[in-house]
Amino acid sequence: MPQLPRDEERSTGQPRIGTDEWVASVEGRRQRRSGVLGQLLERLGQLPFWAPLLVVAAFGLLFPFLTDSDYVVRVGFNALVFALLALGLNIVVGYAGLLDLGYIAFFGFGAYAYAVLSSNKFDIHLATVPTLLVVVVASALLGLVLGLPSGRVTGDYLAIVTLFFAQIFVTFTTNANRITLPWGDRPLDLTGGPNGIGGVDPFSLFGVEAIAVTSYFYIALVLVVLGMLALHVLSESRTGRAWKAVREDPLAAEAMTIPVFRLKLLAFAFGAATAGLTGSLFAAQQIGVFPQNFELPLLITIYAMVILGGAGSIPGVVLGALTITVVLEVLRGPDDARLLFYGGILLGLAIAIRPWQRLAAVLAGTALFGFLVHVVVGSLWPRGTARVAAQGEGLVGSIVEAWVLLPTEPGTIGNVAFVVLVASVLGMTLLRPLWRAVLLVPTLYLAAFVWENRLIFQPSVTRLLILGALLVVLMNARPQGLFGTARVEIV
Amino acid sequence: MDGTFLLQQFVNGLTLGSVYALIALGYSLVYGILKLLNFAHGEVYMIGAFIGYFVLIGLGGPDDLAVPVVVALTLMFLAAMLGSGILGVLIERFAYRRLRNAPRIAPLITALGVSFFLQSTALLLFGAKFRSYSTFQFLGGGIEVAGVRISTTRILVVVAAFSLMVALTLLVGRTRLGKAMRATAFDREAAAMMGIDVDRVIVATFLIGSILAGAAGVMFGLVFFSVYHLMGFTAGLKGFTAAVVGGIGHIPGAMLGGLLIGLAEAFSAGYISSTFQDLIVFSILIAVMLFRPTGLLGKADIRKV
Amino acid sequence: MSALLELKGLSLAFGGLRVLDRLDLHVNEGEIVSVIGPNGAGKTTLFNVITGLYRPDEGEILLDGESIAGLPTNVIATKGVARTFQTIRLFLNMTVKENVMAATYGKTRTGPLRSILRTPGARREEREVARLAEEKLAFFGQRLMGYRWDQPAYSLSYANRRRLEIARATAMEPRILLLDEPAAGMNPKETHEITELIAQLRTDGGHTILVIEHDMHVVEGISDRVVALDHGEKIAEGSFEEVATDPRVVEAYLGTKAASTK
Repeated sequence: MPQLPRDEERSTGQPRIGTDEWVASVEGRRQRRSGVLGQLLERLGQLPFWAPLLVVAAFGLLFPFLTDSDYVVRVGFNALVFALLALGLNIVVGYAGLLDLGYIAFFGFGAYAYAVLSSNKFDIHLATVPTLLVVVVASALLGLVLGLPSGRVTGDYLAIVTLFFAQIFVTFTTNANRITLPWGDRPLDLTGGPNGIGGVDPFSLFGVEAIAVTSYFYIALVLVVLGMLALHVLSESRTGRAWKAVREDPLAAEAMTIPVFRLKLLAFAFGAATAGLTGSLFAAQQIGVFPQNFELPLLITIYAMVILGGAGSIPGVVLGALTITVVLEVLRGPDDARLLFYGGILLGLAIAIRPWQRLAAVLAGTALFGFLVHVVVGSLWPRGTARVAAQGEGLVGSIVEAWVLLPTEPGTIGNVAFVVLVASVLGMTLLRPLWRAVLLVPTLYLAAFVWENRLIFQPSVTRLLILGALLVVLMNARPQGLFGTARVEIV
Repeated sequence: MDGTFLLQQFVNGLTLGSVYALIALGYSLVYGILKLLNFAHGEVYMIGAFIGYFVLIGLGGPDDLAVPVVVALTLMFLAAMLGSGILGVLIERFAYRRLRNAPRIAPLITALGVSFFLQSTALLLFGAKFRSYSTFQFLGGGIEVAGVRISTTRILVVVAAFSLMVALTLLVGRTRLGKAMRATAFDREAAAMMGIDVDRVIVATFLIGSILAGAAGVMFGLVFFSVYHLMGFTAGLKGFTAAVVGGIGHIPGAMLGGLLIGLAEAFSAGYISSTFQDLIVFSILIAVMLFRPTGLLGKADIRKV
Repeated sequence: MSALLELKGLSLAFGGLRVLDRLDLHVNEGEIVSVIGPNGAGKTTLFNVITGLYRPDEGEILLDGESIAGLPTNVIATKGVARTFQTIRLFLNMTVKENVMAATYGKTRTGPLRSILRTPGARREEREVARLAEEKLAFFGQRLMGYRWDQPAYSLSYANRRRLEIARATAMEPRILLLDEPAAGMNPKETHEITELIAQLRTDGGHTILVIEHDMHVVEGISDRVVALDHGEKIAEGSFEEVATDPRVVEAYLGTKAASTK
C-alpha cells in the first residue's frame, strides 16, 4: 500500500505547479472580490467556524444591556427568530438543494400547534417542554409528508407543490374556525379563523415563566447558537455529505450507495422541525398566532436572508437574517428610512464606483443636477416644488425641499416616476459604461424623487419591493450571496 | 341536485377553465423551451387584467362608454395583450437571460423575486383595493340553454380563448417560428448549431406566453369582475397545475389541464365548498404528480445517463 | 467456481427499440472482463441495467447468486456494485476528500442525531471514513493527495477527475467495479497509466472489474476476457485475440463490405 504522502510533500517544499493548480488559481482569481468590502468579506469567510459563533453569542449576551428599550430587544428577538428560520431553511435549500417554498407553513404549524396545546382556546395547558417535543416531532412528520412528492418530481415541480401547500396552509388557518362535522352540533373552531388564537401561554422552563421579552431573547439566542453548532457538525458528517451529494448529482449519489429519497425526506424533516420549534417560540412571545403572520411576504423575507448571506454558509445566513431584519425594521420609521435609503445608495455607489474621484464627480453631478432641475421647474411650474417634505423638520427637510421636486399632488407623478426609474435602472444594465455613467446622475435624482414623493408614504410596500428586487438582483449579480461559495455546475 | 345546477356549474367551469388554459399555455411553452418555471407568469396575467381595466376606464368607464362596445373590448384585449407581452419579454431579458446556465435553483428563486416585485409594484401603483370591470352595463343579455342563462361575456370568453388556442396551435405547428420553437425545446444547443437564433426563439416564446396571459387577465375581469394585486398568485398556481396535469411542455395538454382544473374548481365550489376549492385543486396536483408525473398527455422521458 | 456477477437472458427495449437482447454474461471473482462494441451497441445501457437505473424487461441479474434485478440503485450499490460514468459525474462542489467519503454512506451507520451529539461511535466512524478515503486517494500516487484533498472537485483536471471518480467508486469497497470508458478523452500517456492502474486495481486493490472501453490497446492490456456487443446482442466472447479477429466483430465495427473483403 502506498504511504500517505502528505507530510513528505510538505517537507519537499513547494508543490509543482500543474494543470490543476492553474485551473484552481484562475478560478480563485476570478472569484476574488476586489475592494475594501470584498477583502473584508474574504477575510471573514476564512475565519474558523467558532469565530462567528463566539461573536453572535457574545454580542447577544450583551445586547439587552446596551439598551433599555423593550422595543429594541424585541427587534433583536425577531432577528434571532429569523436567524433560526434561515438556519433551518439552509438545510433544505443550502445543503440538500431542494427549493422548499412551503417552509413558512411549518413555522405557522409550529406556532399554531403550540397555541392549540398551550392556551385557553381548548383549555389545554401542556407544560412547555412536552409541548415543544410534540411540536417538533409533529412538524418533522408533516415535513416528511410534504417531502413525499420529492421522490417523484424534480426541483421545479417540488417548488410549486410546496408553494401551493403554503397557500393552502394560510387558507386553512383562515377558514378552519367553522368546520362542519357530521356528528357535531355546531361547527368546530380549530384555528380561530382570521382572528387567530390569543392568550397563548408563555414558555415555562425550569419552573420559571418567561414573560419579559428579554427572556425570549435569551432563549432564542441559545437556540441560534446551538443551531449554528449543530448545523456545523452536521454539515461535516455522513448525513451532511450525503445531502450535498444529493444536491450535486442525485443520480451519481444513488449509484454511490446514497438513498436519495430518504435523504431528501430527512432534509425536509429537519427543516420543518427547526421551523416548527421556532414557530412555537414566536407564538409564545407574541402571546398569540394569526394567519397573516404566515403569508407569502414572510417566505420571501426568509429566502432573501438565506440568499443574501449565501446559501450553505452558516454564518452567512445568520448575518443575512440579522441584516435584513434590522433593515426592514428601520424602514418602518420615515426618518430612519430616509437615512437608510440614501445611506444604502451611497454605500452601493462607493462599492461599485472606483476610483473615488469618479465617485465624487457623480455625487457632485447629482447634487448640481438636482438644484438645477429644482430651479428650472420651480420657475416654470411652481406647484412642482410647493409641497413640504414628509417628516421634513430641520436641516434634512430643508435640503430635501430645496433639492427634490415635491409636487403638490405626488400620487400619479410618483407612480410614473417609479416606472421610469425601474425602466432606467434596467436600461442601464444594457448600456456601455460611458452612457451608463451619463445616465447614472439623472437616475439617482429620479430615485430620490420617487423616494420623497411615493415610497416614503408607503413603508410597508417599500419593504416588499426591496425584498423582491433584492432576490432578483442578488441571483443575477452574486448568486452565492455575501459568504457563500460560488457553485459550479456543468449543464 | 338538478340538471340546471349541474349545467350552470359546467358553464362556470368551462369559463374558468378557458382562463386557466391560457395561463397554463404560457407556463407550458416557457417550460418546454427553457425548463424554467416562470413564477412571474401569474403576475403578467394580473398586469394584463389591470391594463384592460384602465383602458376601460380611459374609454369612459363601464357606465358611460365613449365608443361602441366592440371597439372597447377590442382595445382592452389589444392593450392588455401588448402590455403583458412586453412585460414578459422584459422579464426574460433582465431577470432570466443571465441565468440560463446557472444552477437550477437560481432562476427559480429569481422568478419568485420577480413575481413578488411585480405584485408589490402593483400594490404601490394601484393600491390594495379591488377594482371591478362591472360589465353588466354594456354586456348584458345572453342566451338560455336548458333553463340556464349563459351570459354574453361567458360565451365571448370561451370563444375568444378557443380561438387563441387554435391560433397558437397553428403557429407552433405550421410556421417557421413554430418549427424553431419545437427544435429549441427539443435540444437548445443542437438548435443553435443548426442556425436557429435561440435568443430570438426564447423571446418569442415569452412574448406569446405573456400575450395569452394578458388576454386571460382581461377575460377573467370580464367574467368575474374583480381585479386586484394578488389575483396573479393563485391563478398562477392553478395555471401551473393545469399545465402539469395536462403534461407540461405539451400544448393540447395545457388546454385539457386548464379545462379540467376549471371544471374541478367549479364543481367543488358548487357542490362542496368554495373555501376549500384550492385544496381540491392541490389534491389533483399531488395525485397527478404521484401517479402520472408526465401528465395526462405527456410522454415519459428516458432517463439519460 | 461460480460467477460473481451473472446476467441471464437480459432484455430491455425502449419503445420498439431493442437495446439489450437476451444477453448472457458472467464475471468471475478476480477477473477483468471488457465489453466492447460500436456506439449504440448497448454497453452503457448494460451498466445502467446492472446498477438498477433501468429495470430489465426480462432476464436475471445475479450478484453472488443473489438476484438484484429490480432493486433500487442505492441498494444494489450497497450490495457491492460500484460504477463510474462515461461522462464523469462527480460531486463538483464538494472537496476531493468529501467526494470519496460520500461514497461510504452505504456501509456506515451514524445517523444525523448521533452526528450532532458527536457520540464516540460517530467520531470513530468519521475517523475511519476519513482514513479510508485517504487510503483510496493514495492509490493514485501523489495526484490526489495533500492539498488537493480540500480542493473542490471542479478544480481538478480532466484526467484527475477520472481518477477521483474511480477512487470514489473504490471507497464503496465493492464486490465488482464497473468502469465506463475509463480512458475516454485521455492522452496516450494517461491512457497508458490508466491501463496499468486498472491492472493494479485488481492486483493491489483486489477488485473484480467489468469495463467498457473503446481503446483497443487498453482492452488488450487488461482483459482476461472480452465480450463484444452489437445491437444489444452478444456477438463474440473470448480472449482479446479471439474476439478481435472474429468476423462478426469486424463486421460490426467496419460494416459488411469491409468484413467480406477481408
